[in-house]
Amino acid sequence: MTDYLEFTIDKFTFRIASNRFYSDEGVWAMPENTKIRIGISDYLQQRSGDVAFAEVKSVGTLVAFGGEFAVIETIKVNISLPSPVAGRVIEVNPAMETAPEAINQDPYGAGWLAVIEVTGGETSLRHLLDPQAYFAKIKLEAEREVKKE
Amino acid sequence: MTDSNQKPKVIIVPCSGIGKTYGTVSREAAYNVTEDLRPEDTRLVALSKLVLGDEEARSVVAANPAITIDGCKLACATKMVQESGGRIAQDYAVLEVYRRYKQFKPQGIAELNTGGEQLAQALANEIAQVVDELTSGKGGKKNG
Repeated sequence: MTDYLEFTIDKFTFRIASNRFYSDEGVWAMPENTKIRIGISDYLQQRSGDVAFAEVKSVGTLVAFGGEFAVIETIKVNISLPSPVAGRVIEVNPAMETAPEAINQDPYGAGWLAVIEVTGGETSLRHLLDPQAYFAKIKLEAEREVKKE
Repeated sequence: MTDSNQKPKVIIVPCSGIGKTYGTVSREAAYNVTEDLRPEDTRLVALSKLVLGDEEARSVVAANPAITIDGCKLACATKMVQESGGRIAQDYAVLEVYRRYKQFKPQGIAELNTGGEQLAQALANEIAQVVDELTSGKGGKKNG
C-alpha cells in the first residue's frame, strides 16, 4: 500500500506518493526491476485542471532524458511532459485513449502514462527529487502563490 | 407554460461559470438551442435563479424535463436541478462533448474562438435532437 506525504493549502490538499521519485516538472518515476513507470504528480494534475486528452509517445519510441514523452491537454493548458529518464517506451497506458480522466482521478495509480525501459539498464533515479524534496519544493511554491493572491 | 393547453417545454440549464471557457461554451450552446434551434420547445433557466431559490424558476424546473450543461466536474447545473426537484432528461459535460469533437478546441472567455463556437454549435445540435425526442415522447438519455 502506498504511503503519502500530504499538505493542505487554501482549499486544496496535495498528496505525494512516497514510493517514487519526481522531476522538477512534476513527473513521477517509479522503478520496477529494469523498467521505470512514469506519470504526473497529484500537484501537477490539480494545478493543470481536468484532462481532455493525453497523447503519449507510442511503444518503441526512444526518448531522451528531458525529451518530450507525452502531451496533456487540459481545460486550462497544454503541457509538454519531459521524460525523467532516457530509454525506450515499452508500454503506454491504454486508458489514455479512452479515459484520460484517470490522470485526475488516480494520478499515482490508474493514471500512469508509460513504462520506459532505461537505456543501458541503468535505473538509478538519483538525479530526481526524492518525495521529501519534492514535497518541500511544491509546498514552498504553493505557499508563495497563495501569498501573491 | 405548464397548463394543459400548452405543450410542455424542455428546460435548458447551462453552467453559470463566468470567466471560464467551458462555461461560456455551455451558455452559447444553450442560447443557440433556446433562441435559434428550438425556441418553441425550450426555455432557458439561469442557474443563478435556482441557486437563489427563485420560486418561479424552481417550479418551472420541477414541472418539466430538463437538460443540463455543466462546464466542469462540480456539475452545479445538474446538482441544482436535482435539488430543485427537477427531472434531468439528459446531462451534458462540456469536456465530454469536446472529447467527441477534438477538432473544435475551445479558447477564449468573454468571446470564444472559432473552435469554441463550433463546439457550442455541435453541442447545440445534439441538444436539439434530444429536445425533439423529448417533445415527441421518446425521452432522452443520460450522461452526454
